[in-house]
Amino acid sequence: MAAAGGGGGSGGGGTTSGCGLKRRYAPRDQEEETMNQDQPSKEDWCGRIWNGMDLLKDATENKHVLPTGLEGIDTLLGGGLRQGQLTEVTGPSSSGKTQVCLHSASHAAVKHMGVVMYLDTSNSFSPSRIATIIDGTNLSDQRGFDLPPKERLKTLMKSIICESVFDIFGMFDILHQLEVSLLSDKVKSGGKKICLLIIDSISSLLAPIIGGKYPQGRSMMISVAMILKKLAYEHNLSVLVTNHMVSAGNGAVKPALGESWKAVPHVRLVISREHDSNICTATVLKHTQLASGRTTKFVIPS
Amino acid sequence: MAEQSGAQNAWDMLSDEQSQKHITTGAGDLNDILGGGIHCKEVTEIGGVPGVGKTQLGIQLAINVQIPVEYGGLGGKAVYIDTEGSFMVERVYQIAEGCIRDILEHFPHSHEKSSSGKKQLQPEHFLADIYYFRICSYTEQIAVINYLEKFLGEHKDVRIVIIDSVTFHFRQDFEDLALRTRVLSGLSLKLMKIAKTYNLAVVLLNQVTTKFTEGSFQLTLALGDSWSHSCTNRLILYWNGNERCAHLDKSPSLPVASAPYAVTGKGIRDAVSPNHKRARVT
Repeated sequence: MAAAGGGGGSGGGGTTSGCGLKRRYAPRDQEEETMNQDQPSKEDWCGRIWNGMDLLKDATENKHVLPTGLEGIDTLLGGGLRQGQLTEVTGPSSSGKTQVCLHSASHAAVKHMGVVMYLDTSNSFSPSRIATIIDGTNLSDQRGFDLPPKERLKTLMKSIICESVFDIFGMFDILHQLEVSLLSDKVKSGGKKICLLIIDSISSLLAPIIGGKYPQGRSMMISVAMILKKLAYEHNLSVLVTNHMVSAGNGAVKPALGESWKAVPHVRLVISREHDSNICTATVLKHTQLASGRTTKFVIPS
Repeated sequence: MAEQSGAQNAWDMLSDEQSQKHITTGAGDLNDILGGGIHCKEVTEIGGVPGVGKTQLGIQLAINVQIPVEYGGLGGKAVYIDTEGSFMVERVYQIAEGCIRDILEHFPHSHEKSSSGKKQLQPEHFLADIYYFRICSYTEQIAVINYLEKFLGEHKDVRIVIIDSVTFHFRQDFEDLALRTRVLSGLSLKLMKIAKTYNLAVVLLNQVTTKFTEGSFQLTLALGDSWSHSCTNRLILYWNGNERCAHLDKSPSLPVASAPYAVTGKGIRDAVSPNHKRARVT
């Protein structure tokens, strides 16, 4: 997406606001200008041909970067979690994956005024931890600054919605419901919009069905991936999933879910924690805009 | 956004969480590092070398969950799934007696005033409220965990499920390791689900194994890396010299910490050594 946006910047600079936009249905041509101000709506997603300038405009207007609130990770990812993209955090057990999720959820609520949807598979969503993180964020120039702390905490925490999922079919259900409600919410304007979808962890749902003789598990994995990326793209959600590490033989570990999952996330981050400390190391395995292989240390605030 | 069924916002969850009672381990220091005790709605894995007190802690929890509400407990029942045959009922009786004696010490007046309360505080009652399943193969283990959902639907007063140990049969008889991973991760999701649905604590006892990392053999919990993700909290019991210690290794809400504890005739209690500071040992 970034590459396309860059190309548009040099090539399409001279065009008007219409950008030479072609639509499949001629009668709608008059609406071009009004349509263009909105983001692509449901009925024109298949008929619309985008050029680089459209993409660039969409990227700058709709695809924001949500900070995770963890300094090292934000620097490493060029600001945080990009809307429209799927970010994966992987790491060994108790390396801090859930902490990254809880921080991201809190910061999206505090800084981005958005609704966060948190899908929890391992009963590890900790509301008390969320409260601690929100209390610890800088109070100035944020929304709800004028409210008393308790009210502020209440408003912010009410915008984080958590749901437990314990199998892949439950996951499909929730994602479909989410899509329906996102589509209907678009019609109504105003109100808070969901900006971040967190799944902690996707691999625990997929682990029981992947492998063995039958390919169904793998196809369900790809279906989930497609739905997630579609939601991310069409509704400007930032999607954050966590993945486990499994043994790769000879004592080493690797991210779970295998080769075909590798292509799914836009950004892959692997984290590890030093024994008995809250200092973590994060490494970028894959990134759509920035160099991969970079490493940083970050501290999970207690 | 319209809230879906089953979804809850964090604020409501926070007030739910704050009204929750925790299951005491019997040792104050241990409760402190666990944030008050074993939490309901979570899966806690307890691992350690043989003889360090895993089963003792398991039995203690099966008793402590039954401490009546008027004495600060949960007044619930326990499910104990025994795969190794290490559930010694005489010992359970002893621990129940110890627990009752401690309750009466803490509430010296209450047993006179309420005769019904006194009737409740009999070791026999504590034993009667433990549902015990003896498992002799991994097939049975899978079956029991599948059955639990129905069982717990019929026995809503169960507040803790203890599996001692989750490892045993899966370590011996399973040859296809990839299949083992799939089966175990399925079981782990089922346990997560019953913990959440029935608002109870799931406690999994696990054995240790050696693992070759960074040029040396180290003790880690059994069942491998993929299993290590299957719990909400992990507590590791170990020997620090002659003292038993517990180390909270994983928790979404609490910092990593260690605390000493002791196994006494009455059950799990605080370590009585002068060293009351929390030892940090790796």
